[in-house]
Amino acid sequence: MNRRVPLKADTPAASSAPERPTNVLIVGVGGQGVIMVSKVLASLCQELGYQVKQSEVHGMAKRGGAVFSHVRFGHTVYSPTILEGDADVLVALEWAEGLRWLPYLNQDSGTFIADTQHIVPPFACRNRIRGADSGYSRETVHEVMESVANSFALDALQIATELGVPKAANTVLLGTLSTALEFPVDAWKGVISKFVPPKTVEANTRAFEAGHEWALTFDRETRLKEWQEHTARFSAEIARSDVAVTSTLEITEAWCKGCDICVKFCPERCLAMDERQIAVLTDPDRCTGCRICEWLCPDLAIAVHTPASPVEA
Amino acid sequence: MSDVAQNQFNIREYIRENLFPHFMCPGCGHGIALRALLNAVHDLGIDKNQLAIVSGIGCSGRVGAYIDANTFHTTHGRPLAFATGLKLARPDLEVIVITGDGDCLAIGGNHLIHACRRNLNLTCLMLNNEVYGMTGGQVSPTTSADRFTTTTQYGNHEPIFDACKLAEGAGAGFVGREMTLQTPALRDLIKEAIAHDGFSFIEVLSDCTEIFGRKNDMGESAEMVLAQKADFRSVSYGTEIGETFKPRGMKTGVLLRDDRPEYAMAYKRHNEKKLKQ
Repeated sequence: MNRRVPLKADTPAASSAPERPTNVLIVGVGGQGVIMVSKVLASLCQELGYQVKQSEVHGMAKRGGAVFSHVRFGHTVYSPTILEGDADVLVALEWAEGLRWLPYLNQDSGTFIADTQHIVPPFACRNRIRGADSGYSRETVHEVMESVANSFALDALQIATELGVPKAANTVLLGTLSTALEFPVDAWKGVISKFVPPKTVEANTRAFEAGHEWALTFDRETRLKEWQEHTARFSAEIARSDVAVTSTLEITEAWCKGCDICVKFCPERCLAMDERQIAVLTDPDRCTGCRICEWLCPDLAIAVHTPASPVEA
Repeated sequence: MSDVAQNQFNIREYIRENLFPHFMCPGCGHGIALRALLNAVHDLGIDKNQLAIVSGIGCSGRVGAYIDANTFHTTHGRPLAFATGLKLARPDLEVIVITGDGDCLAIGGNHLIHACRRNLNLTCLMLNNEVYGMTGGQVSPTTSADRFTTTTQYGNHEPIFDACKLAEGAGAGFVGREMTLQTPALRDLIKEAIAHDGFSFIEVLSDCTEIFGRKNDMGESAEMVLAQKADFRSVSYGTEIGETFKPRGMKTGVLLRDDRPEYAMAYKRHNEKKLKQ
């Protein structure tokens, strides 16, 4: 039984619905619109006569906190949360968040819909040297698409930007989601127009149609090939940006008068005074080339040389 | 990016390296101000041959001598007078005056108010370290209340001179104040001042660590610049917040910008008119 399709498109009542409710898990980064997407879905199910339970973690809208929302609908729903490995559809508004929640997806019949946009969380940036590895998830789209049978990865932000409404990226994802749930398209559009600001109804409708269209014309083989190319390009970029730009500090010892100001203001604590009371760089690897020491050296004894970044060059 | 790297500011192109290390004490804020000035000159693309630095006497006066440009080390308190003559004779030069708080406000106070009044296209950088450092640490017009100097052994009781208010009152076209800790902001302020057509007065809050800081137990240069940061607030903070947060009641940033006629142009027009009659 395909649990992705609980009902025929125009069956309003839940009498023929399967006993087990359908589970949709929506994840993303705070501020992206996870709650809005789940509210649209929940209202739509309610309008069509299902019992719906929604449970969420919110208040993370400071860009960086993980946000998720469980939506369960069916004839009768008891628990509001989805068990691990039990989600029928996983909608990820951000790539790494999608990977984080992948264990929740039903491994046999689950559908994975993910936006490929990357939002690097601040906590992944452990190294402040320019061009340093950010610690962001390294799984490529191609790898994930190959391992998850029913998977759709699209650059919703790009699609929405092409339509001129970058903010409607999650509406594009709703369009893709609509092909996995087989509710009437008009019902989707009606609910979306209730949830978005009145001025953007038209733009969001277009975004929804774009996402819907993208999923309908989805051809796994071509997409896999595309993603492979994308991967090659992406890893080439990563390889180049992995070469961290290390700044070199030139300290003219003859000019240094040992005033200590560079040691006290260095944010990385990689400068120290030696026994001659002359500033020395104790840990060149930690130097990020921020130039505070260069700016504040009253003796003009410090010069920071930062080579051009290979990515920018 | 490669273009940027080529145009990157290298201070050694602008200083007389054979005179280094400079004579200033460890941690003296004048060195930071010198760097900000040279970076501003570099950013504006001013040719070193078109740059004239006029300086007076004192620690601040010696700063000018380290710049690899046309430098003019003048008498005590009179750099603005010399600079006025220089600018009128050679209007093509970019004339920058480096002076100190004692040099500019006490001995040369009269020259300052008349330079402001004339609004000649000069840039005056007053390095304020609150003391006569070179002569042994005597009290200066900007020494804060209750500070000890060699001539105020029981603490200074005189009210301080707000140099920026004086310049505003005397009619300067551009008035600003910045501290050495905010070096990029200081550089940008100097850039604006040089670009301004008219008399530009900038008070740079420097710090005298060895003479003034030691006598007043103010710590080393790092502690002194941080204390300055606690004392001053940028004008961008707004009036209300600023009033509550500033113990010394002074603001940093661009304090005044007035596009009144520049002196040299007005002088030329006036003479032409009179000659025709």
